[in-house]
Amino acid sequence: MIRKDAISEVVNYIKNEPIVSANGFISRDLYEVNDKPTNFYMIGSMGLASSIGLGIAIKNPKKNVYVFDGDGNILMNLGSLITIGNIKPKNLIHIVFDNSSHESTGGQPTSSKNIKIDHIAKASNYTTFQTNSKIGLKRIFKKIEKISGPILILVNISNSKIKSKRVGINATKIKNRFMSSL
Amino acid sequence: MKDIYQKKIFDYLLENRIENFIGVPDSTIKYFIERGLKKKKVIVATREEEAIGIAVGMSLSNSSSLVFMQNAGFANSLSAITSLVQLYQIPIIFLIGWRGFLKKDAPEHEKIGKIQPKLLKTLNLESKILDEKNWKNGCDWALRKIRDQRTCALIIKREFLD
Repeated sequence: MIRKDAISEVVNYIKNEPIVSANGFISRDLYEVNDKPTNFYMIGSMGLASSIGLGIAIKNPKKNVYVFDGDGNILMNLGSLITIGNIKPKNLIHIVFDNSSHESTGGQPTSSKNIKIDHIAKASNYTTFQTNSKIGLKRIFKKIEKISGPILILVNISNSKIKSKRVGINATKIKNRFMSSL
Repeated sequence: MKDIYQKKIFDYLLENRIENFIGVPDSTIKYFIERGLKKKKVIVATREEEAIGIAVGMSLSNSSSLVFMQNAGFANSLSAITSLVQLYQIPIIFLIGWRGFLKKDAPEHEKIGKIQPKLLKTLNLESKILDEKNWKNGCDWALRKIRDQRTCALIIKREFLD
């Protein structure tokens, strides 16, 4: 399963709830697959999607908040897992699309092939799931309806040559429409 | 700055609807942070960029935030400030402890302490230095900035050696 297919599948299970997406190909795929005001495309500040998601989750306890992260992104801000696990927001669902590489910058390897991100999350008070298939995602989203967060779903994906277009909305507009949607 | 003034600054900002205080501890502003911890209004992050990310999430939810840090951490934060806070025009108050203000401060603070005013200027991040006399005016200035949806920094000098 490639990232774009995984993202297409995941958005089926998310209604009108906020999504914070990591910079690079993750935001580009989400923009192409399912653009909507509830998406906050973080186009810069690599590593910080889960921190932004935490801030939103704390302030919007009645909404589920989703973070679309990558392995390269979360590895730049592992401390975020610790802070999230310490605060334990019940409404935070952290999805890490893991291809063990920095695909957006040319496919250079990350260490997530040998160091399992979901194990670190588990040690940080998350409830964790892992899958590499659409049917697996379907089962996990069914299960998490009854579970409190923080939840981490590690989605193993393969690289591909498919490249989505850049997010075609400027940053302040991304912000304004996102804020109105909350 | 004496503990009493740091506590007054915290209370004043809280009274004036700054709802979230996120950051990484610094000895120059420790009484400010202590006050916030006592009132259960502080989140201690692992790094300054992380603190900025959390504050941005809260500001996006219409809840005003302050991020506190030492100037060493301010150096860590440049990308988060330029490519997140400034790019999206997110109103945040930064409270920064100024190490290296005194020439005899520890050697690791010398360089960053020296370039800090220029660094703020280069970033176009408006700032004011708070002291025991002018702190209220400085806070009012920062609160106006936040109301106008602008980002700004308040600086407290480290005026003691240990």
